[in-house]
Amino acid sequence: MFTAEELQRYDRQIMIYGFGEAGQEKLKKAKVFLAGAGGLGSPVAIYLTAAGIGTLRIADHDKVELSNLNRQVLHWEENIGKRKVDSAAAKLGKFNPGVKIETIAETITEANISRLVGDSDLIVDAMDNLPTRYLLNKTAIQKGIPFFHGAVYGFEGRAMTVLPGKTACLNCLYHGASVPKEKFPVIGVTPAVIGCIQATEVIKYIVGLGELLTDRLLNFDALRMKFNEFKINRDPNCEVCGNKAKRVKKK
Amino acid sequence: MSVNVEISSIFGRYTGNVLNMKVEGKTVRECLHDLVRQFPDLKRMLLDGDGNLMHSYDYFINGESVYPKDMNRPLKDGDKLNIIFVIHGG
Repeated sequence: MFTAEELQRYDRQIMIYGFGEAGQEKLKKAKVFLAGAGGLGSPVAIYLTAAGIGTLRIADHDKVELSNLNRQVLHWEENIGKRKVDSAAAKLGKFNPGVKIETIAETITEANISRLVGDSDLIVDAMDNLPTRYLLNKTAIQKGIPFFHGAVYGFEGRAMTVLPGKTACLNCLYHGASVPKEKFPVIGVTPAVIGCIQATEVIKYIVGLGELLTDRLLNFDALRMKFNEFKINRDPNCEVCGNKAKRVKKK
Repeated sequence: MSVNVEISSIFGRYTGNVLNMKVEGKTVRECLHDLVRQFPDLKRMLLDGDGNLMHSYDYFINGESVYPKDMNRPLKDGDKLNIIFVIHGG
């Protein structure tokens, strides 16, 4: 059931063939865990909030810094020094009061991740490091919930969607590859594109429309304004989602 | 035997912005070694001391991931090898 105001707010997406009020209802009931409120997290949060997601649980342990502002569009100069989750919640709450915003200002670790994700329906990867991404991927597989991966560097970005037990996971793709922990170059337009792709995938998954970026890695090269797509074959020996991986039954 | 290589724009500064090139080799290893022979500045980025692809890079053959990752995997004439950097920012 929608209020008259909700029907007006979401009128243009309800009009989309295959979306309808039924699709809007699915969005309204959905609970999203967003890991990161930075360059990727900002557009993901903005567009999921605009679309009327039910609950957005945002986890980020950082405070806003001046060097964030070239790309983290949820945060402004007046927010420097404040917790990112608080800055994000304040803006998103004004943007769409109908969305429930939950904030977690904790570092995501192996010890707390299951508790932080809780009963969320899916996980969005808006992280800035690989180890936590691998942890999110593993948790999604263990909980049996989808994982929406995104990453950026300079003018290049990537996205992939993981459906546990069905499609290739992040470990099938990278096999635990590591990179040196150092600050990375990035311009705002790159996470803007990738974050919007991730938000699009989330919406499509929840509403049940279109084809997801499963078993596919979408690579965006903004310098050449080119999208490449790589087929990602699920690795049967993947230690996270493969035959030998330990499983926890989804509730 | 000739293999087509495409590298990420991230590597453009090491190749004079040449991102598509042909290399000679029968295996992934031989092709990567010919790649760094043509573009020596790439060598320290891509290959470790044993001549293997460094852990922060990955490759696809004809647009697909392959398992297991084996530097001695054979390639055919006309195959396409994409080399990507494992990106981590957000």
